[in-house]
Amino acid sequence: MTSFTPTRRTLLKTGTAAAALATFAPAVLRQAVAQGADLAPYKSAKIDWQQTKGETITVAVIPASYFENLIALAPQFTELTGIDVRFEKIPPAQIRQKSVIDLTSKTGTYATHAADPMYYALYAANKWVEPLDTYLNDKSLTDTAWFNFDDIIPAWRSANGINGKLYGMPYDGEVTIQVYRKDLYDAKGLKAADTLETYVSNAAALNAPNDRVWGAALRGLAGAGQNMYIYPSIFRQFGGDWMKGGKLTVNGPEAEAALAWYVDLMRKYAPTAAANWNWPDIADAFSQGTIASYIDAHSSASVINNPQKSKIIGKVAYARWPKGPSGRRTTSIWNWGFPINAALSEKKKKATWLFIQWAASAETQARTAHRFAGPTKRSGVNRTSIWKDPDYIKLMNGFGPNFVEATMDALQHDTDVDWRPRVPQWPAIGDTMATAIQSALSGQATVKAALDDAQRRIEPMMRG
Amino acid sequence: MTARRLRAAVILAISAVFLLAWAFPIIWSVLNSFKTDSDVLAYPPKLIFSPTLGAYREVLFGSGSILPNLVSSMIISVGTTIVTMLMAIPAAYALARLRFHGKKFAGFYVLTTQMLPPVGIIIPYFLVLQTIGWIDTYQGIILIYLSFSLPFAIWLLVSYFEDIPLEMEEAAYLDGASRLRTLWRIIIPQVRGGIAVTVVFVFLNAWNEFLFAVVLSGNTVRPVTVAMFNFVSVEQTLWAKLAAVSVLAMLPVVVLGVVAQKQIVKGLTIGAVKGGGRR
Repeated sequence: MTSFTPTRRTLLKTGTAAAALATFAPAVLRQAVAQGADLAPYKSAKIDWQQTKGETITVAVIPASYFENLIALAPQFTELTGIDVRFEKIPPAQIRQKSVIDLTSKTGTYATHAADPMYYALYAANKWVEPLDTYLNDKSLTDTAWFNFDDIIPAWRSANGINGKLYGMPYDGEVTIQVYRKDLYDAKGLKAADTLETYVSNAAALNAPNDRVWGAALRGLAGAGQNMYIYPSIFRQFGGDWMKGGKLTVNGPEAEAALAWYVDLMRKYAPTAAANWNWPDIADAFSQGTIASYIDAHSSASVINNPQKSKIIGKVAYARWPKGPSGRRTTSIWNWGFPINAALSEKKKKATWLFIQWAASAETQARTAHRFAGPTKRSGVNRTSIWKDPDYIKLMNGFGPNFVEATMDALQHDTDVDWRPRVPQWPAIGDTMATAIQSALSGQATVKAALDDAQRRIEPMMRG
Repeated sequence: MTARRLRAAVILAISAVFLLAWAFPIIWSVLNSFKTDSDVLAYPPKLIFSPTLGAYREVLFGSGSILPNLVSSMIISVGTTIVTMLMAIPAAYALARLRFHGKKFAGFYVLTTQMLPPVGIIIPYFLVLQTIGWIDTYQGIILIYLSFSLPFAIWLLVSYFEDIPLEMEEAAYLDGASRLRTLWRIIIPQVRGGIAVTVVFVFLNAWNEFLFAVVLSGNTVRPVTVAMFNFVSVEQTLWAKLAAVSVLAMLPVVVLGVVAQKQIVKGLTIGAVKGGGRR
């Protein structure tokens, strides 16, 4: 560990303090916070930041440090634009529900919200959110050169686009990488797996449940964002294609091989409980030294490096996804993006765009990451330029060997827009697949039966 | 060992197993709430550890204090209970005693409102509250809670009212008491037990409600059931703090349960002995 020392308590303190400040503090206090900040980097943009002065917008985010950092900086935005931002923190599962209710009912409660990239197809099909290109190309609203949209990680931009139109501006994202115990691997002369096959043989070599060390763990918990987060990568790496002849197909031979690999790894080399684990549980177990390797979001590195509870600091190294039989590596292209609610008034839409532009700008990204005053620095910044910034790299390298390289390689080479089927029916499809995978993981159904059943359920959804 | 003793021992053993299964999550939460983050994750789970109040201090007085949320929950639950009881007692009495047109239908209607799946009615509720500007307000949430607590309370109370012998009421009328006076002076004291049971259940339902609360609340009104979820972040689960909040959220329920226990038992047995059937 070098300069990066996040602790849970401090994380929570600063995060929530900032949140409380941003939400409840009187205007006077906000001014005070804002005054210390230098707004010159923003004012160099050739737009009138104050054009919607006096507006108030509500932004729904999830409780996560990367949003806490943004909330902490919100007074600067208010100072810059005269727009008041109210943040509402809603847990991930509920934020989808609440925002969909808000969007369907066209009440315009949330000007923007932390959006799941898988939902844009649904949003766009119903015209619930605005295409952002209009705002990006409007000279009075966006200084193209200053905002430098192309600097934003391409994979996330395409993840948030439907038919070439952008619907959500990536704010923070992640890639999936291999995390492993270098000490255990070295002791057995193993190297980070380059293929899925080796990943299994590594897990087999290190699996010693009697000594409370299991070979590997992947998310097993049923859920569109849980087992259906990890499975699509495996599916694609086995050469799977969601659309076969224009028809969504989830039970082809590649799917069977992919799910069989997943089930086999989990049943043989993961703790039994992992079938119900989400990634925080995996990270907790890994930090206690009971898992030799896992494949999950690169952002989990901060949890396993938390000195307050981790026993394996300094023993961790990273690598890309092992490649599948198709020769492909497929990372998640997950990111939290900000869309513009179509039910807003024109003026509020503009105010929301100014907020989005501010939040996604290189300056704010840096201020919420390596230049953030608090203890937690973001590891999911949306800018390629920041990923090349020596200060940021130095900070990220604190997580362990090869962290930056693995993450950058994944970001540049392993991304895949068709990671998951991007159709408006995704929420229901994701749930159906999650249940199918769970029944295979738990042994209630064979791989084939589980997938065939999912296919049967999904077909009517696609027709309807 | 006699057969009787053996039987008692078996029953005791089975009860113990069930009790353990039910009590385990609570014991687990209480233990974890006094642990540090690293003790929570320790293996084998530590039964003996140096207890700390750190998690409680943090969730109560730290920057992310849940005190406002506990207050929110209390206002919602007490408010819902008072309004519900004020309306349910006369309604239940009317259903039990009065003869009026459409009584049967009214009784049935009250029950059917209990049969709707809550998820199906969230969006209409949201729209209604949004239209009248009551999203994220106490009156809004209490109004919606009434929609399930009121039928439930009426349904529960009717059977208690029906159990009161008609003769008592008639005696009161002979003495010249009005219907309202009879209700207040004669009937209500008789169904004290039933009212206590209803109050407890209505309060608990409101206190534990999550589904409506998460959709209809916001930053101003945020009950503890919703706030608790913020300790399960996408990045990590803050086990010790989550356990501490759970224990704090359980406390009013436990206290109410203990205080009202005698009445509850009495209320339940009244129903049981007399069959509890309506009409």
